[in-house]
Amino acid sequence: MSEQVERAFQKQEAVFLNVKGGVAKKNARWYKDIGLGFKTPTEAIEGTYIDKKCPFTGNVSIRGRILTGVVRSVKMKRTVILRREYLHYITKYQRYEKRHKNIAAHLSPAFIGVKIGDTVTVGQCRPLSKTVRFNVIKHQAKQTKGSKKFQTF
Amino acid sequence: MGISRDSRHKRSHTGAKRAHYRKKRKFELGRQAANTKLGAKRIHEVRVRGGNKKFRAMRLEAGTYSWGSESISRSTRIVAVVYNASNNELVRTNTLVKGAIVQIDATPFRQWYENRYAKVLGKKKNVSAEEEAKSAANKERSKHLQAKIAARDSEVESALEDQFGSGRLYAIVTSRPGQSGRCDGYILEGKELDFYLRKIRNKK
Repeated sequence: MSEQVERAFQKQEAVFLNVKGGVAKKNARWYKDIGLGFKTPTEAIEGTYIDKKCPFTGNVSIRGRILTGVVRSVKMKRTVILRREYLHYITKYQRYEKRHKNIAAHLSPAFIGVKIGDTVTVGQCRPLSKTVRFNVIKHQAKQTKGSKKFQTF
Repeated sequence: MGISRDSRHKRSHTGAKRAHYRKKRKFELGRQAANTKLGAKRIHEVRVRGGNKKFRAMRLEAGTYSWGSESISRSTRIVAVVYNASNNELVRTNTLVKGAIVQIDATPFRQWYENRYAKVLGKKKNVSAEEEAKSAANKERSKHLQAKIAARDSEVESALEDQFGSGRLYAIVTSRPGQSGRCDGYILEGKELDFYLRKIRNKK
């Protein structure tokens, strides 16, 4: 369909497309359960996207740390920046100060409608690029108070 | 040579310039690219970390290619590099790399097909009567064998059949010639074949 936007043919490594005697199963798709109790989204199972860095349909495993953060930017292709806030204790004054760290995480096309301000859970994986070592595994949209239908924009 | 694979020379995630505090180490070394070309086989052996070997293919002319839907592999001559998703320069210079689309010699596959299905592949015009009689498709077979052959599914998609007619098949390289010293791969079929045929045609 329209997922072949690159100059090379995009396909899942695990799926053999050219079975003899007609296609064995229309749109055969490989997906996996990433473990640790995280549910694999229906879009990952039923969708048609190809993403080798997706934790559900690609060749990455989630192991190590699981962190959460607030989405700060979605401008990159298939990656997001999270902001994790924490309090740092200053012993001399017996008080805290606010600090934050930004993490770049890969965002699979299985998660649609991720906006700034959403809470997201990321799991550690092998390095996917210069700064990306995490992969989004759960997405929780920002709750509007009382979820009124009308939203000012 | 000066090629290193470290990240200490790059700016950090925050944009800060990293201080240069140590020299290049051997474990972060990089070597010159092989840029494997087509020609009489020439392979250089390299001693790598741990005492292991890598086979840097400088020139190759043949490889083992698989016909996926029929589940067979045959060693064939590589004719030419036809498409490369990363760099057109590599196509022009006939450089063999993983992921390059090449044309391979179809004869071993055609011979296998004629032996197995007793049918001629590709609509070859002007095949002399004598050649046809000699071909594997028409050799003497017992009745039992003929029955077995008739029961086999010999359907081949039309795009592939045309390629057999011209004696050249499109295949993609899946091994890394500069690492393993081999140029192996599989024959393109189905959606992948359509995709690459379209890309090749659009370039022309």
